[in-house]
Amino acid sequence: MTGTPRIWPLVLILAIFSTPLVIMYLYQIIDSVASPDPGSLIPGELDLSNWRFLWERIDSGRPTIWQVTFNTFLFASTTAFLVTLLSTTAGYALSRLNMPGRPYFLGGLIILHAFPTITLIIAIFIILQALGLFDTLLGIILVKAALELPFGVWIMKGFYDTVPWEIEMAGVQDGASRFRVWWELVMPQVKPGLAALLIISFLSGWSEFVLPLVLAPGSSTQVLSTFMNAVIQDDATADFGLFKAIGMYYSIPVIVIYLIFQKQLMNIYGGGTKG
Amino acid sequence: MKTRLLAFGFLSPALIAVFFFFLLPVLLTVVFAFTNMSTSTGIMGGAYQINETQMGSLRDTEVSPESIEKLEGAGYLISEAGLAALAEEFGEDTAEELRDDYLGETFAARRDLERVLRNLDDPIRNTRDRKAAADLFVSTVIGERFDTAEDFRAALVETGIDPADHDLLTEFAYTGWTWTTANFSLLAELPSTMRYASNTAFYVVCTLTFNILFGLFLAISTFYLPGRLANTFRAIWFLPRILPPVLYVLMWNWFTWDRGFIATVAGWFGAPQQNWMLHTSTHAWTAVILINGFVGASLGMILFSSAIKAIPTSMLYASEVDGANRWQQVRYIILPQMRWPILFMTSYQTLSLLTSFEYILLATDGGPGRSTEVWALAAYHTALNNYGGNLQYGLGAAYALALVFIGIALSILYLRFFNFKELLSKPRIEQ
Amino acid sequence: MELRLEKFTKAFGPVTVIQDMDLTVGSGEMMALLGPSGCGKSTTLFAICGIHKMTGGRLYFGDRDVTSVPAQQRSVGVVFQNYALYPHMTAEQNIGFPLKVMRQPKAEIAKEVQRLADLVQIGDLLDRRPAQLSGGQQQRVALARAMIRKPDVLLLDEPLANLDAKLRLEMRAEIRRIQRETGITAILVTHDQVEAMSMCDRIALMRDGKIVQLDTPERMYADPASQFVAGFLGNPPISFLPARAGEQLAIGQSQVLPRPAGLEVQGDIVLGIRPEHFGPQHGQGLHGEVIFVEPQGREELVDVQLDGGGILRAILPTGDPVKLGDRVNWGVSGGNILAFSTEGVRL
Ligand SMILES: Nc1ncnc2c1ncn2[C@@H]1O[C@H](COP(=O)(O)OP(=O)(O)OP(=O)(O)O)[C@@H](O)[C@H]1O
Ligand SMILES: [Mg+2]
Repeated sequence: MTGTPRIWPLVLILAIFSTPLVIMYLYQIIDSVASPDPGSLIPGELDLSNWRFLWERIDSGRPTIWQVTFNTFLFASTTAFLVTLLSTTAGYALSRLNMPGRPYFLGGLIILHAFPTITLIIAIFIILQALGLFDTLLGIILVKAALELPFGVWIMKGFYDTVPWEIEMAGVQDGASRFRVWWELVMPQVKPGLAALLIISFLSGWSEFVLPLVLAPGSSTQVLSTFMNAVIQDDATADFGLFKAIGMYYSIPVIVIYLIFQKQLMNIYGGGTKG
Repeated sequence: MKTRLLAFGFLSPALIAVFFFFLLPVLLTVVFAFTNMSTSTGIMGGAYQINETQMGSLRDTEVSPESIEKLEGAGYLISEAGLAALAEEFGEDTAEELRDDYLGETFAARRDLERVLRNLDDPIRNTRDRKAAADLFVSTVIGERFDTAEDFRAALVETGIDPADHDLLTEFAYTGWTWTTANFSLLAELPSTMRYASNTAFYVVCTLTFNILFGLFLAISTFYLPGRLANTFRAIWFLPRILPPVLYVLMWNWFTWDRGFIATVAGWFGAPQQNWMLHTSTHAWTAVILINGFVGASLGMILFSSAIKAIPTSMLYASEVDGANRWQQVRYIILPQMRWPILFMTSYQTLSLLTSFEYILLATDGGPGRSTEVWALAAYHTALNNYGGNLQYGLGAAYALALVFIGIALSILYLRFFNFKELLSKPRIEQ
Repeated sequence: MELRLEKFTKAFGPVTVIQDMDLTVGSGEMMALLGPSGCGKSTTLFAICGIHKMTGGRLYFGDRDVTSVPAQQRSVGVVFQNYALYPHMTAEQNIGFPLKVMRQPKAEIAKEVQRLADLVQIGDLLDRRPAQLSGGQQQRVALARAMIRKPDVLLLDEPLANLDAKLRLEMRAEIRRIQRETGITAILVTHDQVEAMSMCDRIALMRDGKIVQLDTPERMYADPASQFVAGFLGNPPISFLPARAGEQLAIGQSQVLPRPAGLEVQGDIVLGIRPEHFGPQHGQGLHGEVIFVEPQGREELVDVQLDGGGILRAILPTGDPVKLGDRVNWGVSGGNILAFSTEGVRL
């Protein structure tokens, strides 16, 4: 911030720590389009065969990448949509509406927000089996959406809290019902929040690994994370070129979203978990 | 009133979700921890069945030998059910005659029953028909599947087994799960329990320390760098947080595998080719802590950066005017302001490190051996993915239960981080 | 329409903020609710518009008991301190929103919006959003939106607090003009006594959840019911002087004033003397030293430390040759001395 000239030692230390990550990023990109040459750091010649998973099955018995991509997209977008929808209403109720038991709901929300949901996965596994939703996309969508919900409600409540009360009071005085006030006057003020929540829960769904691994292990419900994991696990030859190409393909939406919304994302991740 | 309806309407979908995927699972985790549920018992409650192969172990129980003999030789019984079926296929008269003379009698072998059928006043003449008719009265319990305990007991009665043995047999025949506290005594006995617990403690303490120290370092150092440079470093360190875990760990796997980056570079200096992640447990721990640490430091950087940004610049300027050097500024101005975010980060990360196993699962899967197996991963391995194939839900739930309790306790503690009074301020429109 | 509050009580949980308040605002009257911060002005206002439930008492608009009528059906127009315009709507949509809620035909709405825009003189700004309007313009939009339903009552919660001094003066006149033109019953909430005195027919002065005096501005200024009221009204404020009533009024250790006619009590009292009632134009009688001079353009304020104790403030036309440290001997307009008991009750 101020102009002291001795920043070079600092940059040097940072650079040293960052080197492993930068090397990983770099070779992640290089190896995905270079012919594999393990044991050497000089990339082989340009080779697109790493991307063969796009036009052929890597091995029989695996679903096509398009099926898997579709599953992933369906999973991530439906989850994001559900989380946003439920958070939008529940967040408003908790932020603005009078109701009996409100302190308990709020306390419960905070507890759930912090509660490590992954510990419940065994019970959820069994519940899904009992409901007949095991190994279905619907099942993991519902679970993922439910587990993301406390975070979503918390974020949305935060956004609603910043809308001036006077706007709602004015709306009520103008004769509008609370529902109409919410829909026509308050919602437009929290659009940025909606967008942020949609993006974050989409990203979270897109990256999710453990839930599909445990709750939807079948090949017809595979998503990109479990697909990629399965390819890695089953391949005895350590074909990192292929893995990295799949990884590149898998992370494209994440990178794109990251590049567009970098600032907002950092803000939300910085503030979202804060009280 | 209308507002209340609206409030509950708005809240109820979320409440339903919370019920099914939070409250119910918490309860069920407790419940399951007290069962011997596993793949072989199924989850829905079982049926009653004794198979041929189980006869050996049945003899080891206290069931009397006579009963066992009866079970084995149960043979054929003239029962009302059988008679009704007979009437249907071979006429009322045949059935009526058989009922009058033989109701309740048993035959050890089919040949005996067939003889009776041939000698009736209204005999079944065709040999094949007789065989079929005799089969209607087969009454063996062995190999038969009964859906309820009542059915099974009824069959025992019909077979004429000593009522004293019914309870034992019914229990023996049950294929579903039962209540037990064996999971907890097992946990208490197993040496691996202590091992996993200490692994977990080691893992959490190390990773957390790394996260916070390194996160602080990143936040403070990028704060002092010129904009472009700072943003570059922030971008480099933010990526681990949003990259899909499978890809992020893949990069580490490549970095450390036998012919990956480290191995290659080390090879130039004559080091033997080896997997730098799984070679020894020290390597594995280093990798696990760094993999998680980089992600956590990423979160720390973001959190602490926004906290530093919130410090009034006038305070920083003032300290500079007072002649404080960089280090003093950090020490006396910035760090004291970081107390709250650090506390928050500590509690938040403790919980998530204690319970999440995603990165370890992907990186070392607890190996080599079980050296990096943490508690949460052990729960996962026991209940959801073990090599033997018999998933022990009950035992896994017992593992998970410990985490659930810690989770609830810590998240209630976490409540104190919030200005709850202010949070509870009443909605200002009182309708 | 007449507005009547009877035994209005409001409690937030265990804290009773307002107890048994009675207030009647006549039809077409503009009433000020005046008082220091936290005295319960906004609370009263919110109860009248229906945003708060009344803990006790009744509220009538004319003959209609609206105590438990929801806010939406009360026919009350409100202008909030920060205007509370809907940021995503244009001025036109803002003003028309109440009619849109009532499902009036589009043409009708457009006509009415135009009429009100003309009334508040913002006809050419209708397609702007609030962010593109100045504070005064936003204020006018808010006023138009509050009035478009032809409400029974208009409530204004510190409507001028966010404006700069010049605009405040202009809007003061504007609001009064519009209220007069439409003949609407209005309540103005403010803690600025100048605003209350200049805009309203009557003032209800509140303190700690009670109305301490309800009167026209002139009478309240000239004839305050208590030391609190006297101190609250008037700018520059009144000076208070402890005194002892005997044969004469003894002030401090050495000086005396004649006893005003009609003052009955003996013993310790407090005198209230407004700045315009002290000075050379009122003759002589009180000795002291000038300790403070504040030029205000047309006039200047002078604080005088009386010999033997007490400070009196005078307001003099600029040009009087009074300097810091001057010794003065000035008089008091005897008929205008206000006397209070030591508890602050008017005597
Ligand atoms: N929701 C509430 N819960 C508890 N007490 C409240 C609440 N709202 C207001 N009060 C209290 O009621 C009293 C009156 O508040 P009110 O807002 O009416 O004051 P005011 O006269 O409008 O003051 P100001 O001029 O500062 O706006 C205050 O002491 C305030 O602390
Ligand atoms: Mg107020």
